[in-house]
Amino acid sequence: MHLLEVENLTKRFGGLTAVGNLSFYVDAGEIFGIIGPNGAGKTTLFNLITGYLKPDSGKIRLNGEDITGLPPHKIANKGLARTFQIVRPFRHLPTIANIIVALNSPRGKKKIEWIKTAERKAMEMLEDVGLSEMMLEPAENLSHGDLKRLEIARAMALEPDIVLLDEPFGGLSPIETEYMVKSIQRMHLDGYTIVIVEHKLQALMRLIKKVMVIHYGEKIAEGTPEEIAENQKVIEVYLGKAI
Amino acid sequence: MIEGIILHGILSSCTFALLASGFTLSYGVSGIINLTHGAFFMIGTYFYSILLDVFSISIPAEFSILSLILPVIASTILTGIVASIYYRLTLHQILGDELATLVVSISGCIVFQQMIYLIFGSLWGMQLPVPELLSGNITIWNVSISYSRVLAAVTSFCLFVALWLLIATTKTGKAMKALSQDHEAAMLMGISTEKMYMLTAAISAGLSSIAGVMIVSSTTRVGSAIMWLQPLAISFAIVVLGGLGSLKGTLVGGLIFGFSRTIVELTVPLGGAIVDAVPFLILLCVLVVRPKGLFGKRVEMED
Amino acid sequence: MVVKYLRKAYTNFATYIYDIPPRMLALLLIMIFALLPMTRALDSSTLMMLRDASVMAILAASWDLLVGRTGQMSLGHALFIGIGGYSSALLFMHFGWPVWMVIPVSMLAGAVVALLIGLPCLRVKGSYLALLTLAFPLLLERAVYYFRDVTKAEEGIPPPPRLPAFFQGLIRLDARIAEYYLTLSLMVISAIILYKIANSKRGMVFVSILDDELASKACGINVTNYKLLAFVISGLFASLSGCVAVYISSFANPSFFGIRWSVLPLVVTIFGGIGTIYGPIVGTYIYYFLDMYVFRKIINISEWHYFGLTWEYATFLIFILIVIIFILKWPRGIARAVVEKLEDLEEARPIEELEQKMAKAD
Repeated sequence: MHLLEVENLTKRFGGLTAVGNLSFYVDAGEIFGIIGPNGAGKTTLFNLITGYLKPDSGKIRLNGEDITGLPPHKIANKGLARTFQIVRPFRHLPTIANIIVALNSPRGKKKIEWIKTAERKAMEMLEDVGLSEMMLEPAENLSHGDLKRLEIARAMALEPDIVLLDEPFGGLSPIETEYMVKSIQRMHLDGYTIVIVEHKLQALMRLIKKVMVIHYGEKIAEGTPEEIAENQKVIEVYLGKAI
Repeated sequence: MIEGIILHGILSSCTFALLASGFTLSYGVSGIINLTHGAFFMIGTYFYSILLDVFSISIPAEFSILSLILPVIASTILTGIVASIYYRLTLHQILGDELATLVVSISGCIVFQQMIYLIFGSLWGMQLPVPELLSGNITIWNVSISYSRVLAAVTSFCLFVALWLLIATTKTGKAMKALSQDHEAAMLMGISTEKMYMLTAAISAGLSSIAGVMIVSSTTRVGSAIMWLQPLAISFAIVVLGGLGSLKGTLVGGLIFGFSRTIVELTVPLGGAIVDAVPFLILLCVLVVRPKGLFGKRVEMED
Repeated sequence: MVVKYLRKAYTNFATYIYDIPPRMLALLLIMIFALLPMTRALDSSTLMMLRDASVMAILAASWDLLVGRTGQMSLGHALFIGIGGYSSALLFMHFGWPVWMVIPVSMLAGAVVALLIGLPCLRVKGSYLALLTLAFPLLLERAVYYFRDVTKAEEGIPPPPRLPAFFQGLIRLDARIAEYYLTLSLMVISAIILYKIANSKRGMVFVSILDDELASKACGINVTNYKLLAFVISGLFASLSGCVAVYISSFANPSFFGIRWSVLPLVVTIFGGIGTIYGPIVGTYIYYFLDMYVFRKIINISEWHYFGLTWEYATFLIFILIVIIFILKWPRGIARAVVEKLEDLEEARPIEELEQKMAKAD
């Protein structure tokens, strides 16, 4: 059984088909990449999977269970977490409180082992991403790179079965990118299943073994990074048709 | 009975639709949910009552019809001016900040309310006696209706149609439509938002003010400093029923509002007291099922 | 944790001006208020003013929890004053229930009404919600007139006997002073409870809803339920406010839950600092002080008739105008502006000290 299964997913906005008959699956323990030119429908896909949009047709299954059309918080509690492309921190709360909020969800409460308190657990999460110094700072004072790390820490607070990262490398400097790559590698080693949508192909290709290419809402290729790099259709889509 | 319901329903729908049209215009063009809409209803009516006295003294008896029409026009213009000044001073500074707009506009209502208390000094403030010209009833289909109500409804209907034509045909109207559909594109086309917003504020206040004159002079005939709250609630209910930003929807909403009110008033015993509650209950049901309203353009919910 | 952040802000304020830790400051204020009547410096009308202010402070604090902390705008909080007030007045008038039974039931009534209203209304956001809530006090007014046999509409229901006889006998105090203490203690208790809720982990979730609902949902939070919770808690305390108001002063008639009591919490909260819980309380006292004491006693504004205007109604007007000006100049509230200014000063301090040292060294 696949951990995440997307079957014939379709979403239309008026006359535009944002996602068209898309199918793919992710197995436990994989790092799966999704790439495609801008406007290809990647974020729409994420929004559909995580419950922010309702598909017109198709099914989404998590651990065999049908989660199509469920509201976002229920999906999160079932073990599918996500980050946002443009960071969405809780500005008025201190950094550590951002994590504590996630620990207040039904799933979050379960993940706090009986001896620890929410604060303790939250501090651990912050340490994992290297933000423990910023613990008491209101989130609005953090730099962009720190906020990206906070996004991930917050998603991981739920100890999800699978986490969807929406452009985790967006706007990061080379050093921050390197740090992020290492963080994701560590997450993978800890056993988490990760799906990444990303534009920075160099960083992405170091992490993933399997990648899917989307264009105009449809899957045009899937395979290992090497296979994709040589795929004629993919090259056309990114670079334009050869004259 | 049925004839009564139909007639009264249509008559009240006209005036209510006019009232709500200003609200929907303001939202459609500038995206502001303007809570002072009801306040201009009140101000317009107060201006009217003052000018009524002024004009009836100074106009000779042969032109007495003017003593009715002129105050309406004058009070509308005055209200429009007050509205654009108010808009320029306050709402314009905080465009886009939703909380601030809410706070400032509700505060504006209270400011106007307290100013009326200040000037008139008591809870009641204003009486509109029936002018001789308009006294008497007309009988249609065995139902006796007062002249003033019919006149009010007809005037409201004409103005509503005029508004529709304004938006559909004139350059200004098209500019408004453009702004309501795509704000940035309209700006790129050279439409000056500052001027358009002020104009919209003035027009919508003017509509509210005429609606005020029409409604008050054909029904309750008294005003008070707190009479701004009900028109606001009514406009909101109508506009949500029909959909924010859509004139067509406002018409439909007005019809629903007018008819549901009339039906309850004429059929339910003691219905007069809960007449206003019924549309709200309808509104709540609509909201539960379809927050956009029936013809809504903008989605007001997240996602 | 949010407590620590807010304390930091408050500490800046308190220690810069008073050099006293904020908890001590609050305790000090409570003690001053508690001992005030003993000094016999207060006459009957001032006691009444403080009593009314305490009751309205509960309303304002409850409003702030919903609006300032959870971000759900309510322009119809007067509804709860009506619910609390009428339920207590009716329970007393028709069934003769004693105070200690009436208060919890009134509060419960408020909570239930909040739940019923919240279910359909909290689905919409911002201005939409504001307008919806605006309509509810009107509906209550209609209901009151419709059931006029029961509620006696404009005539109003006379307030129940001022205070339970035994309470008065026990303390052997003048009725006014007893009321003062009663309302003061209710306010303090409510304020503490609301503050604790706002700064608990639940409170953090409330703030997360205020900041970013979508992100909150992604964290597994059932945002709708939390919004309802905030609304219900708010309704609970707001109707307490109405219930007590009926006991101490008003006849229960439709005007006592008029629009004024929906706008007052808003105005007072903006003034005092939105989202702080203590800010609205402070703001309420300032408002009552200005209105009752400064304007009426000192300036004696009801006697003014310049230009043929009735200046008595000017107090609210002035307050509102001040708020409008504040919002236009400082859209994020003056409390934040004050705090930010103080933080700037705080940061500037070390530099000044350094400059002084350097000047001395020369």
